[in-house]
Amino acid sequence: MKTTLTYIIEQIQIKNPLHSKRIQKNLKTFNQEYFDRAANFFLKYEVLLKNDNKSFDYAIDCYLQMLADFNFESVQFLKTGEYTSKSFEEVKERVYDNPDVMEYYMHGLLMSQFLLKQHYDILLWFNRIIGKNNKNIENYLEVGGGHGLYISEAIKIIGSNANYDLVDISKSSIEIAEKMIADDKVKMILSDVFEYFPAKKYDFITMGEVLEHVKEPIKLLQKLHALLSNNGKLIITTPTNAPAIDHIYLFKNADDIREVISEAGFNIEEELCIYSEDVSPEIAERFKISMMYAGVLVKK
Amino acid sequence: MERNNILSQINKIFIDTLDDEGVVIEETTTATDVEEWDSLTHIMLVVAIEKHFKIRFSSKEIQSWNNVGEMINSVSAKIVD
Repeated sequence: MKTTLTYIIEQIQIKNPLHSKRIQKNLKTFNQEYFDRAANFFLKYEVLLKNDNKSFDYAIDCYLQMLADFNFESVQFLKTGEYTSKSFEEVKERVYDNPDVMEYYMHGLLMSQFLLKQHYDILLWFNRIIGKNNKNIENYLEVGGGHGLYISEAIKIIGSNANYDLVDISKSSIEIAEKMIADDKVKMILSDVFEYFPAKKYDFITMGEVLEHVKEPIKLLQKLHALLSNNGKLIITTPTNAPAIDHIYLFKNADDIREVISEAGFNIEEELCIYSEDVSPEIAERFKISMMYAGVLVKK
Repeated sequence: MERNNILSQINKIFIDTLDDEGVVIEETTTATDVEEWDSLTHIMLVVAIEKHFKIRFSSKEIQSWNNVGEMINSVSAKIVD
């Protein structure tokens, strides 16, 4: 019987042979763990789609539309060296307050977790880090939880004794996260994190791919610094040279990111850089090839 | 501008961008036919074609091409002789 992943890959081959080449190349590098994880993920995602009277054909089209946006933004980025969006207000109007865009964008991001190698590699890294740090966590926070995949993984590893909060500025994201997580352990908080003032401190905070969406990433990290307990840990991920429709802050290399981390009052306990192409950091910066940065941060 | 002329110019762009003197494209050529033509080099090709012909493609156009012939259609519609 054909798996969902096989069907998705076949459809992408028909609809976008160019991107299919990349997927085929990546598939050759994946082991059985990837296929098992992908099967579980798409099973859960299928429930979400069916409840919304949608199919994987719809999800595939959303993913390809997201890629089309990224390709267009990439062309402008290569020409100008800048992201096209300059402010949060612009992105809010263009993306976050635009239900049609948010709809396909969120589904596109969900699909990308297992169709884009960088995203999958980061997910594996995240699992490993949480596994190393799963003791003595009373309060866990995810900021910008988006699709809910990461907090779901955290719950599996840390267990049900911790308190889990998810703060997101987007109603659409919260709605999708609720459906994907399907676990009432997580308290969903619709809020700008800058306006979030809980009575407690968190032992572990995760913030995946949010820093590049704000004009002042240092201030955002400083806010997380205030939310984190003194011995707590913060995981962040953020890309360099990644022209998406809602990216504002351009990190050109890993040092740009490390500088922001240090300015905000953190040391880096562990980090990982995954390039979208098999090139050196120098070539990546020169040709503006994207890199996904992941770091475990502790207070200075 | 004649299609053959556009094809010839785009072929040269492919050679320069993919750094492969052996690349020969026809109107029916697809990404499957050219090993180095992938999602990254596609962006570089679009930028080079836009620069060479002094045109700009929309997001829909960049995504829509199934082969070089369809790319030439878009170029031809935009250039002024």
